Amino acid sequence: MQKKMAYSFPDEVLEHVFSFIQSDKDRNAVSAVCKSWYEIERWCRRKVFIGNCYAVSPTMVIKRFPEVRSIELKGKPHFADFNLVPDGWGGYVLPWIVEMAGAYPWLEEIRLKRMVVTDESLELIAKSFKNFKVLVLFSCEGFSTDGLAAIAAGCKNLRELDLRESEVDDMSGHWLTHFPETCTSLVSLNISCLGSDEVSFSALERLVGRCPNLRSLRLNRAVTIDKIANILRHAPQLVDFGTGNYATELRPDVLANLTGAFSSCKKLKSLSGFWDVVPAYLPALYSVCSRLTSLNLSYATIQSPEIIKLVSRCPSLQRLLVLDYIEDSGLEALASSCKDLQELRVFPSDPFGVEPNVSLTEQGLVAVSLGCPKLQSVLYFCRRMTNAALVTIAQNCPNFTRFRLCIIEPKTADYLTLEPLDIGFGAIVEHCKDLRRLSLSGLLTDRVFEYIGTYAKKLEMLSVAFAGNSDLGLHHVLSGCESLRKLEIRDCPFGDKALLANAAKLETMRSLWMSSCTVSFGACKLLGQTVPRLNVEVIDEIEPPGSRPESFPVDKLYIYRSVSGPRFDMPPFVWTMDEERKILHSEFRHLL
Amino acid sequence: MPNMEFQLGLALPTPNIIMGFDLNNHGLDHLKDIGGFSGKSKRSFEQAFGKFKQECKTKTLLLWSGQPNEEEDQKDQKKTTFSTIDENDAEEVDQVVGWPPIKTWRKKMFQQQHRVCRIENNRVAGKDNGRSIYVKVKMEGVAITRKVDLRLYHSYQTLTNSLITVFAKDKKCADDDYTRYILTYQDKEGDWLIAGDIPWQNFIRSVQRLKIVRNWS
Repeated sequence: MQKKMAYSFPDEVLEHVFSFIQSDKDRNAVSAVCKSWYEIERWCRRKVFIGNCYAVSPTMVIKRFPEVRSIELKGKPHFADFNLVPDGWGGYVLPWIVEMAGAYPWLEEIRLKRMVVTDESLELIAKSFKNFKVLVLFSCEGFSTDGLAAIAAGCKNLRELDLRESEVDDMSGHWLTHFPETCTSLVSLNISCLGSDEVSFSALERLVGRCPNLRSLRLNRAVTIDKIANILRHAPQLVDFGTGNYATELRPDVLANLTGAFSSCKKLKSLSGFWDVVPAYLPALYSVCSRLTSLNLSYATIQSPEIIKLVSRCPSLQRLLVLDYIEDSGLEALASSCKDLQELRVFPSDPFGVEPNVSLTEQGLVAVSLGCPKLQSVLYFCRRMTNAALVTIAQNCPNFTRFRLCIIEPKTADYLTLEPLDIGFGAIVEHCKDLRRLSLSGLLTDRVFEYIGTYAKKLEMLSVAFAGNSDLGLHHVLSGCESLRKLEIRDCPFGDKALLANAAKLETMRSLWMSSCTVSFGACKLLGQTVPRLNVEVIDEIEPPGSRPESFPVDKLYIYRSVSGPRFDMPPFVWTMDEERKILHSEFRHLL
Repeated sequence: MPNMEFQLGLALPTPNIIMGFDLNNHGLDHLKDIGGFSGKSKRSFEQAFGKFKQECKTKTLLLWSGQPNEEEDQKDQKKTTFSTIDENDAEEVDQVVGWPPIKTWRKKMFQQQHRVCRIENNRVAGKDNGRSIYVKVKMEGVAITRKVDLRLYHSYQTLTNSLITVFAKDKKCADDDYTRYILTYQDKEGDWLIAGDIPWQNFIRSVQRLKIVRNWS
């Protein structure tokens, strides 16, 4: 019966049908139907997403999917963003590029996040992939403008070069001159992270001028305000623009020029940049405001009145990133002007200050939750919170998909009742049934984890710091959160019991990070040796964990599932809990 | 109160500041609005509180003269130097690693904006390549001390308008109250003067800190 089914559709027909299925989840489901579908699907999969570069080896990926055109890789754990992962930990992309250079000559797209990329990798990309189109390096490091020059010179059909938030060794701004005069294919260029004080501006201008399809351009701080107008006039078709440096003394002619340049950009919907912005230059943007859907003011040190003036002119705003200079009054204005707001991120202007320097409190967030019915995603830094406010916010916004609250002082209680914020966060998970991402802060007991385990059934990522009383807290999360993929914990009294009791759960997740908790070395060893497809890595920069008693807690712990076994590129301060591999590890180190 | 025995090495003690003050004291209403201090700031909060109490009683005389009590200021100086350094020195040893969770490049931006080579008075000067000049701004009757970057403004008018608008919200003034306030500043010699007499460029080079006071005339 099954054979008949397989022959009733020729492979090409099935392939054609499968080509309409883009999402990874669906593709994976298709490949699990039967052997022949698995075979057909694997030959026509063009896009692969690997959430943890150590979960699988390049060889295995290439073997299963021989015709890939687009690959996305993520490396370091999320907490690397906050300096919790020591330098040299890993996440090297070179081994992947080396193997793909041979196996995927028609590779078009590489997207990397939190990986170490070297100039050698970039040169290899430029040399190996004749039809290369898209390079996105999100929060990457390890390369210089020399590598970028190789990409510019070698990739004749480059469409997208996006270096967002990466750390680039700036040798000079001249890498831009390596784009040949024949390059007209750019659609997106993001160089906002570059520090270079000399960006070869004339090369940039010429490049922008000859790329008629350029839709997204994000400049860096080196491009001064008088040059911004020139660039805009070369690319009035821009949809997304990141300005350069706005700092200068007020000159009416520059202001007029800029105003004219912005008003000629009829398609502009997204703005960012604004370093050192002088308020007097903000009116230049007014012609664009009514169309703006995304505004990133998080580098701008302008005060609340100026922010309000700008934001109240943006009724179509869907996304706002801003510093806490906006204050509660600014958030109230936002709530009444921007009814389409979906995402709000408020960053602290003085995070290490001892006293508050702005009047931004829980009231601001409550106001936005009340006034903006489409609000889905929140990142909010503040210095005080109450359970009542969180309950109100939860009731106003049952559609939250991402909620990240950071009360700057660890273990801050409800400032009115002095109680823990368990009930508040409990209300968030109870009301927001589609919540996928949650970050906790403030004073929290095991109770909040009970709420999370009970209600947060769609939660995929949870970040916890300075919270909980006992292993029960961790147990609630691991046993209750069915959709959990990523869990990161720091400075919590969670130890062996919950971890060992829920060992099987760990194989269903992408990764678990625990630092400054109370998990013992012995428990780590047990986990690593008994759960087959789990890599258990202990990070300790001071001394080998084995030199202390087994009951001693480890400093940092990173556990992730993998089908390719422990990795070989660990630095000396990372220990894998697999005794057999440890010997191999030191044997291979001379090869690195 | 929850069990505190699991305080780990890097964790900071729970703030418990509000307990120490009588929140029913009318004059402290707006101070109540500021919560969540660390144990370290308790001292600076107390001495700000002490100063405010004094200001409450002697408001009209002291501040109108434009010359705050000098002795008091010196005491302030000694006490605030410590907390000022705390505020601005991001390399402070007992800061918790990776907290608050802000990306490294954003932190670098803050450090550039708040960089202190030497702290003299309350002026925060950077390496000075034409970038920010931060000075502290206080408004009488408002407990929050803000910092403003003078490079953002090109005239007294724009500076004053912005400042008063921001601070007025804390005091919840009516619009016509704006005319009742004037901007004063402390210059390099330590004298308090009314802002507006010298050219703007000279002003931003010599101003050390700002204070918005009520105009009683």
